[in-house]
Amino acid sequence: MDISQLRQYIDDRPEQGIFRVHRAAFSDPELFELEQRYIFDRTWQFLALDSEIAGPHDFVTASIGRTPVLVTRDAQGEVRAFANVCRHKGSVVCREERGNAKHHVCAYHGWAYDTSGRNVYIKDGKEGGYAAAFDAENHDLLPIARVGRYKGLIFGSLSPAVPALEAFLGELRFFIDLAMEQSPQGMEFVPGRATYTYRGNWKLQMDNGVDSYHLTSTHRSFLTVQERRRGGAEGNQEARQFDWSKRLSQDSGMFQFRHGHTVGWVNQAEVEKRPIYPRIGEIRERVGDLRADWMLKLRNIVLFPNIQIADSTSLILRTFRPLAADRTEMQARCLAPIGEPAEQRAWRLRQFEDFFNASGFATPDDTLVYEDCQAGYGAQPLEWLQGYYRGMTIVEPGASPLARSLGIEPVSSLQGSFKVQNEAVFHPLYREWARLIGCGLSGEEAYQ
Amino acid sequence: MSGGSALLAAGEEVLQREGVYLDQQQWDEWIALFAPDCEYWVPTWTSDRTLATDPQRELSHIYYSNRQGLEDRIVRIRTGRSPASTPMPRTAHLVTAILALEPPTPQRLRLRSTWSCQVFFPRARENHTFFGYAHYELVLRDSRWTIQRKKVVLQNDYIPTMLDVYCI
Repeated sequence: MDISQLRQYIDDRPEQGIFRVHRAAFSDPELFELEQRYIFDRTWQFLALDSEIAGPHDFVTASIGRTPVLVTRDAQGEVRAFANVCRHKGSVVCREERGNAKHHVCAYHGWAYDTSGRNVYIKDGKEGGYAAAFDAENHDLLPIARVGRYKGLIFGSLSPAVPALEAFLGELRFFIDLAMEQSPQGMEFVPGRATYTYRGNWKLQMDNGVDSYHLTSTHRSFLTVQERRRGGAEGNQEARQFDWSKRLSQDSGMFQFRHGHTVGWVNQAEVEKRPIYPRIGEIRERVGDLRADWMLKLRNIVLFPNIQIADSTSLILRTFRPLAADRTEMQARCLAPIGEPAEQRAWRLRQFEDFFNASGFATPDDTLVYEDCQAGYGAQPLEWLQGYYRGMTIVEPGASPLARSLGIEPVSSLQGSFKVQNEAVFHPLYREWARLIGCGLSGEEAYQ
Repeated sequence: MSGGSALLAAGEEVLQREGVYLDQQQWDEWIALFAPDCEYWVPTWTSDRTLATDPQRELSHIYYSNRQGLEDRIVRIRTGRSPASTPMPRTAHLVTAILALEPPTPQRLRLRSTWSCQVFFPRARENHTFFGYAHYELVLRDSRWTIQRKKVVLQNDYIPTMLDVYCI
């Protein structure tokens, strides 16, 4: 593919009121390769939380695109990340999801590495008849080019040519802080694995995480379930689920940020249903009223390309990994304040399970419609999708008065009634998508 | 038949009926097998080798401390408005290896089963088999054996697209 062909996927002419994405952007197998190479291998990717590897020699395994990754805290307390593959024959070295180990030994031929990645053992090395050329080679685990931490989040990049993590996150940091500062002790993942897959392109999840327009149609059955619960006598009361119909009359909006990040927000009608609400006094004191009020609002973040931190019911940190152009692996993690009282933790869990689980009431309906979309992308007469237009006439370039009151400088802002259900929130995602693939194809540096 | 095996047979019938009612989408009959204050729990795995042990501190696939959550599921299916449940996936439950976890008593049975559930997703034209084991506590209420507690362990927890109560 050459760079001029990129225009066949994204038609971005805001001055003419046009923003369109072609269905082939979701189905072209050639793009899968380009996305791996020029997006996933060249951006900061979420690896773990600091709190998951709190002590020396703690580790977790993760992945960046197709690269298995081992994240450790070494003996000195430093966070390290390596390609989790043995230098000998390329086998995955650490086969556990998490734990504590001073050494990681490859199950194949027994080569061993310490938590700083150093090769400490080559089995029967002395008797191996190795040439001097072998001894001259480095045998350590290959480090991930860049490792960065922000507010308890650990990221890695396979490419050294990424901006410093804080600069990459940019103004989105305001919204990351709202998720990561809900406890004075930091945040943790509640134990429990929720991994699922769907037969569809990863960008379907990228979009849907900030799509408010689908609520009253895709989730209509959940609205019916909620209606029945409202009396207080029927249905799963322990979830203390929000009454979504109350959201439809709320003020809402979005902010677009540099590097592809985007945020959708809605005022929260029922702040008392937040599991942090009983602790809001402590939070107000620590972070101030403005931030505390924003912690109670609904906020959905896409940290480009594949990380979503959503607080639409309880907090979720979601990552998605393309397995093929039409297949995606999802990891949904329940993000919670460290030291949260037991009652609020259980409340949080019930909200999360009710909404976010692949066995819950909302996510399965989302995932099934992604699969229907993917099936639709085979349609020959279908060219440009019309799902990126809503709200375009009310986008304000730069910082709106609201943005200024938050002390942030977005690329653009939008504010209006929930009924706008804006789709301009998707634009930075596709602009960055096209920019990074374009840089890859032309050989330009993606970041200055 | 000894008293113990008669009790066990009565318990087995409840377990088998549960699978049959789900497969035949007899939701009212299915829900009636459960006590109104039953606990229904599908724990997650917390790693490749460890299963969650506390639904108040760890994530569950499904956790309800009473039957209301199960009733929600039926309400959702019956709306006909849930893309995940319309058209309904078709299922076949195989329930076997039913053994008593403690000596049966006339008031209470604690049983385990091994289950597998073939699910056909009509939209995708694909099948998936979910499988695992389950622990039940049955109590005699109004001279009927009723499920007071059910814990379902999902052995293959890499979930293709979705999971619902009728898939397990």
